[in-house]
Amino acid sequence: MTAFAVELPRVEPISDLDLARRCAAGDADAFESIYHAHADRMKSIAYHHLGNVADAEDAVQETFLKIHRAASTYTGEAAFGTWLYRILINTCYDAMRRRRRRPQEAPIDDMVTLTRAASNVDDTKRIMLARLLRELPEQRRTVFVLFEIEGFSHAEIAEIAGISEANSKWILFSTKRQLQEKWKHEH
Amino acid sequence: MNTDDNELDEISAVARTMHATWVSDSLLPRIQRAIDAEHRRERFHVWQLAAAVTILAALAALGWYAQRRVRENEFNQAILQRTALDQVERAERDHVAAIDRMEKLAGPKLEQPQSPLMVSYKEKLMLLDDAIADCQAAIRTNRQNAQLRRQLLSVYTEKQRTLQDVLREESHESR
Repeated sequence: MTAFAVELPRVEPISDLDLARRCAAGDADAFESIYHAHADRMKSIAYHHLGNVADAEDAVQETFLKIHRAASTYTGEAAFGTWLYRILINTCYDAMRRRRRRPQEAPIDDMVTLTRAASNVDDTKRIMLARLLRELPEQRRTVFVLFEIEGFSHAEIAEIAGISEANSKWILFSTKRQLQEKWKHEH
Repeated sequence: MNTDDNELDEISAVARTMHATWVSDSLLPRIQRAIDAEHRRERFHVWQLAAAVTILAALAALGWYAQRRVRENEFNQAILQRTALDQVERAERDHVAAIDRMEKLAGPKLEQPQSPLMVSYKEKLMLLDDAIADCQAAIRTNRQNAQLRRQLLSVYTEKQRTLQDVLREESHESR
């Protein structure tokens, strides 16, 4: 089980506190730098949780507003990035719960046009995996998306999802087994 | 590598190509507008809170001042009442002392009355003394009862008039 290496945009702890202070003060430059460092990944994570661009962008915007509201309480114990993704994941969960109450308001966008082209991967397989992901429970989907799609390490996922590293590994393993069963049937 | 591992690797390989990306030029301005709006709301709330605290503080100060004024007035009123009462009682004591002096002057004549008129004066004075004692007892239980004080004054005035009559009678007799 290997993950492809994606460098996390990390900031030094001291800078994190300073960044949080600037966010609390509503500093537009601070938000812009966070946006440029994390928005691409945030949008993708939100998209894989919510299934469409409009909801994903709403979740990202809501996350930034929550950062603005909660930045004064940020203590620097976790990396600012981890804190940010934790807020994003919770925002996505809230949106998913709201959606369960109004299922007709959840359009599913065409995933193929949004995901990066890979010459050796069949589009039908990506569409199938996306559909299987939508059927997963929240936490399983989060661990799979963060590790396999976005390239976070288990240590980072543990911090973001509030679970242990071993638990993250176990959830990923069992999720992949679950997906494998369905994958066989789909084939 | 068996089939199971191949499938797991395939799932991972497909997943790696699924990072979703799209251009969203309007998202950052939208976020900044939302944050600006929220920041403005927060500042407005801070001002609202400050204004509310100021108004509350002003009301509390006003209430405290009003209460203090009421207490001061009550205190002043009480002082004035006590002063007025002291003046009345001092005047009463002077009046009573003057009547006592008159009584002493009329005393010998009244102790051994020589005429029926003197006997009736003596009886009248005894009745008046009883009335004075009753009034004084009542006043001791209610010091501020103006009605009782007026009644006592009228009895004293009557006693004074009676004593004057006694003394006048005495001077007539001695001529």
